[in-house]
Formats: sequence, structure tokens, C-alpha cells
Amino acid sequence: MNRAPVIAGLGITEMGKVYGRTAPEFAAEAVRLAAADAGIELHEVDGLLTNTGITGDVGLGLQRDLGLRHLRLLSEVQAYGSSAGAMVQYAAMAVMSGMADIVACVFADAPLKDKSAGGGAAYAAAGRRPTGWQGLTAASGIYSANTMYALAARRHMQTYGTTSEQLGHIAVAQRAWAARNPLAQLREPITVEDHQSSRWIAEPFHLLDCCLVSNGGVAVLVTSADRAAGLAQPAVHIRGWGQAHPGYVMGRDSEFGLVSGAALSGPTALKMAGITIADIDVAELYDCYTYTALISLEDYGFCAKGEGGPFVAGGVLGPEGSLAVNTGGGQLSSYYMWGMTPLSEAVIQARGQGGERQAPRNDMVLVSGNGGLLDHHSTLILSPHAR
Amino acid sequence: MPVGIVHRDAATAEFFDGTARGELLIRRCRACGAHSAPQARACPRCASPELSWTAAAGTGLVVSWSVVHVKGGPPFVVGIVELDEEPWVQAQIVEVAPEDVHGGMRVRVAFERPEGGEAVPVFHPAS
Ligand SMILES: [Zn+2]
Repeated sequence: MNRAPVIAGLGITEMGKVYGRTAPEFAAEAVRLAAADAGIELHEVDGLLTNTGITGDVGLGLQRDLGLRHLRLLSEVQAYGSSAGAMVQYAAMAVMSGMADIVACVFADAPLKDKSAGGGAAYAAAGRRPTGWQGLTAASGIYSANTMYALAARRHMQTYGTTSEQLGHIAVAQRAWAARNPLAQLREPITVEDHQSSRWIAEPFHLLDCCLVSNGGVAVLVTSADRAAGLAQPAVHIRGWGQAHPGYVMGRDSEFGLVSGAALSGPTALKMAGITIADIDVAELYDCYTYTALISLEDYGFCAKGEGGPFVAGGVLGPEGSLAVNTGGGQLSSYYMWGMTPLSEAVIQARGQGGERQAPRNDMVLVSGNGGLLDHHSTLILSPHAR
Repeated sequence: MPVGIVHRDAATAEFFDGTARGELLIRRCRACGAHSAPQARACPRCASPELSWTAAAGTGLVVSWSVVHVKGGPPFVVGIVELDEEPWVQAQIVEVAPEDVHGGMRVRVAFERPEGGEAVPVFHPAS
């Protein structure tokens, strides 16, 4: 009996400016699509893990929305952008232990409203609290993640000399990948000059440093290698995983902005997989901002600490580069589904189904999830090959 | 941009009593004496939850900053300030042109008192 965990199904709903549907509706559709993708009946799902986005309304009720009975695992998971990776980890352990056989992990969100004033409206408003410490932060003018990540990025720039132009190379490379991805929301090629001339959001971030906002849902099915045999899709083996929650101190000696959770969760996952970072063929990195991708590259060890700027500006990224990073365009250019953005593209790449954007080698695929203000991190190592 | 309105809750009552007096209160560990940020619930050095309030000198250095651009208003500067006692506070940086803010800049606390809300700390160049 081989209970080694695999991903056997992937469901991606219509994505982006899709109005008139709620997050629970997207979530239910994503799970149905994942079951159909795997070639199983929905009622064969016996475990369900949900992660809700900014609209906050995907939860335990999804069981009834799907008509699932006699589940052996059901829970909401919340570690923000690291949740997708975390759900897969908990699902893998449930499958390995025999607690459940087929666990659906789903994220959905619908922050965009038709004719809204701006794409980020729900995100900005959700951060506002008129009372207490959070209220003080907002009253001081820090009322969106943009500003806190900008403070992190500026600290990196101050310490290591990273430049806005270097960050621009990440945006440009990912757009070049997105141009080859029919699922991507933004597919028009851009240049570093376009990045530099895009409007300021929160300096040092231009508009083109910042992720999209998307309505939609994504689900994956985690099961055992045995159960996946003979299903509709090639199994994607979950070879290693890890998490990290740095717990930054708010004071002198804090690593905030300088070191992310990838520095801890990466080695945990690589060790479990029995490989090193040099073995990674494809890296799908959480990129709520260009900077997040940059610091992840450093902390995983794709380049030395502090050398992420020259590294990304040196032409290694993009379809013509030597390192396949964010091959679908990432959150900057494809779609923003929290950790499901890198995870969904990783599954596609590990299956070899990337079409025009398929990476030349896919033996080991790294998936990075990042949540909060660099507070939470998850890593997965996926492979088309069993251990 | 003027600071926004914030109301106190149980966790922030003493802090806002301090800002009303013109004091920036931070936490001090009863066990080891280390200072921590106002919102800390445990000492960052020894993890003790036994924290008292103490008034910071109100001077520090800009660790990081961002110029925030919003629709319908001029850009404004927010930053992380490292107080001389070591804790960080996030606040607006005022009375300086955005392009003149730099890392390591010496700053001093002041308080803005919006109508209908608590007094909010801001920082300006210490010069
Ligand atoms: Zn202490």
C-alpha cells in the first residue's frame, strides 16, 4: 500500500473580473472542476480544507454547498498567503496516516465588485479598523499591505542596494511568461521603462510592482499514490514540505524586510525531499509584489543574500532565462489567488501541461507561499516522479 | 495628510493616556529591563509577559519609509522609526519633503490631535 501523497486533481474557475458570483460559489465550482479533472465522482472526496480570502465567507458551509456527506476531515485553514501550501501539507499528512483518502483543498475570493471605484477597494477597506493598535496604524496612514511591503522593500534597498529597476526586471520577465499563458489576465509585454513610468502606489513600489486583484477559485485534490493510479491525470508527487513563521521583533536587530520565512521553510522542505536547491528546475514563487519574489529567491538560496537585485537583472528570469520562475506570470500578471497562484502553475508544470510556457525540465518544482506581512511561509516540493 | 481618527480600546487605553499628555509610552520588561514596542505582549528578549509602561525619550532613527500616493491628495510619508530605546514604531513622518527623507535620519516625536479621536504620534526631523 503506497500512501505517499500526490496531487491528482486541479480545478481553476473563470478568473479575474468575473462579477455576480460569490466566493463560496467559486469555491464549490473549483472543487467540482478538480474532481472532474481527476476523473473521480465528487462524493469520493472524504476530506475538505478551505481557505478564505478577503471576503471571508468560504468555510465549513462549503461541505453542504457541495452535498458532501460523511467527511472524515473538514477544517478552515488560515495562514494567509501561505495557506494553500499549508492545506496541501495537512492533506498530505491526513492521506499518509489513513485519516482520509481524497482531500480537496480550496481557496476562493471575490473582492472585485462591478463598477467599483478601484480594484483594490475591498482589500484597502478590509484593513481599516478605527480602534486599538490596528486603528493607530491606519490613522498613521498605513492602511494597506502595499505600504507595509513597501517599508520592507525599502529596508532591503537600504541594506543591500537593491534598486527599483532591478525589481522591474521581475515584472518584465513574468509578463513575458504571462504572454504565453491563456489563463493570465495581463498578457501585453512590458519593458523596464514601462515599469519605471507606471504610477507610484507606495514608494518604492510602482503600480507594476504590485499584484492583481482577482475573483475566482482554485482547488487541488490530494490523495495517495495508490489511489491516484489509473485516474485521469498524471500524479504530481508531493516530495517535501515545510513552513516558517518568523515572528519578527518590532525593534533593533529585526530581520523584517531582510530575511523571509523561505530561509527556514525551504531547507525543511528540501531536506524532506532529499534534494538541494540546485536540483530545482521550476520555482513558482509567491509574488504579491516584485520584492516578495526577489527576497524569496535569496532566501531559498538561488542567489546569495543581498544579491537578488543583480541576480534578477542579469537575465536569468523570463522564458529565455536559465531559471524558470513564475512561468504562468505569477500574481503580478496571471491571477491573484493567494498561494493557489504558484501552486496551480506548479501542478501544471509538473504535469508537463504548460503548453507554450512549459519549462524545459520539470523534475523538481518548488512552490512558495507567503502570508501576512512576511509573517507566514510555506514551501512544497512537487515532482512528476515518485520517490 | 492629517492623521486619521482612532479610538482607544482596553489594550491601548494607557498608551493613549500617554499621547494625551504628550508622552510616547513603550513597554519595559520587569524581568530583564529590555524595552519593547507599545503593542508588545511579551518581552522580545526573555519572553516574560510582565511588562510595564515607560515614557520613551521620543527620539530615534528612520529605519525605513514609504511615500504613499493616494487619489485626491498630496503624497505623504510613513516610516518605521527605531527609538533610541530600541523598539520600532510605525508613524507618519511630517514637516519634511518626501525626497529629503533618508535612512538613518534623526527624528523626534510630536503629537497630532484630530477632533473626535485620540492623539496620534508623528515624527519630524530632529535637527
Ligand atoms: Zn525581558
